Amino acid sequence: MPRKLTQLVWLVVFCSAIFGISNLNAQDIPGRKAPSINMVDPGITTAIRGKAANIDLFFRISQGFHVNSNKPRSEYLIPTTLRLTAPTDIVIGVINYPAGVEKSFPFAPNDKMSVYGSQFVINFAIRPLASVMPGKYAVHGVLKYQACDDATCYPPKQIPVNFLIKVTKSTSEPQGRNPPQSPHVHR
Amino acid sequence: MKRDPVIFVVVALALSLMLVFAYKATGKQPKDGPTGAGKPAPEFALQSLDGKTIRLSDLRGKAVVVNFWATWCQPCRIEMPWFVELQKQYGPDGLQILGINADEDTSKEELEKFAKGMGVNYPVLLGKEEVEQAYGGIQFLPITVYVGRDGNVVDKVFGLKGRGEIEEDVKLALGQKKPATQAMK
Repeated sequence: MPRKLTQLVWLVVFCSAIFGISNLNAQDIPGRKAPSINMVDPGITTAIRGKAANIDLFFRISQGFHVNSNKPRSEYLIPTTLRLTAPTDIVIGVINYPAGVEKSFPFAPNDKMSVYGSQFVINFAIRPLASVMPGKYAVHGVLKYQACDDATCYPPKQIPVNFLIKVTKSTSEPQGRNPPQSPHVHR
Repeated sequence: MKRDPVIFVVVALALSLMLVFAYKATGKQPKDGPTGAGKPAPEFALQSLDGKTIRLSDLRGKAVVVNFWATWCQPCRIEMPWFVELQKQYGPDGLQILGINADEDTSKEELEKFAKGMGVNYPVLLGKEEVEQAYGGIQFLPITVYVGRDGNVVDKVFGLKGRGEIEEDVKLALGQKKPATQAMK
């Protein structure tokens, strides 16, 4: 390998090491880095009208934090909840939350909490009624959560949740002419 | 000796990166702001759950623990029983613990129920934005400020600490213990 290329490689390694050390330190101080949750883009879910389609939404929690599960162990703790608003004639079924994992703070090992750590999946079914025109539809919602690290808790927050579903005709339905509307996203 | 310019660039870049990250790191630190140790604790007048107005300045001569908390904050719930014990233990020595609530949507009745359930034996005050700002802002909880008998901050603690550390800070505020730097002299 030419000498200059080797030096460049060392440069990249050195810079990465510095970046890593800086971020490692960032994890050590409570409250230094605010928590966040990101939803993994679920893509477009296809739903045949008149039939239910299953949707899984994946959420990732920023490193070093956890959020209360949907069923925290105290009435005062704020549960993670998802609220969705579907377009007319598209029915959203019961929202299924995963069970939380047990966690305790280092200074109170016997005080167990029910939390989601690193990632969690919320599942529900969506069913377009038979009257829904085929096409793409946007579903909007809000995920509400309250995050903590090993020593501190952050005020409750909410993030928007948006995804698309594509409503199609069933293959058993009589194939007629296309509807007068062109396919578009219904918001 | 002939110096390789590439090495020079590598070192310069590395130093620049270190500076950038160091700057970023300090920028994100929780700020002691106006409530750093040795500075006068900002004055406040807040209403307690039983309707009294509590002024920090009225407590001059006592050691005061100003604890910012919320019902949804599990670490706050963990340290509350410790504060209850410490109030009992050190109250006769001149300790006054004050719990400033930072809930936004919780009614006074719910707070009363919560405080009763936790057996809180010290005043719970209804927080105000301007007081939180005066104490450096509340980005997370718990935050506890230990104020000495002279009205100056002796320590400001971010997050949950062990009971032993809390008690050490209480003693520091009461003047029963010297700060680490003085004790070493």
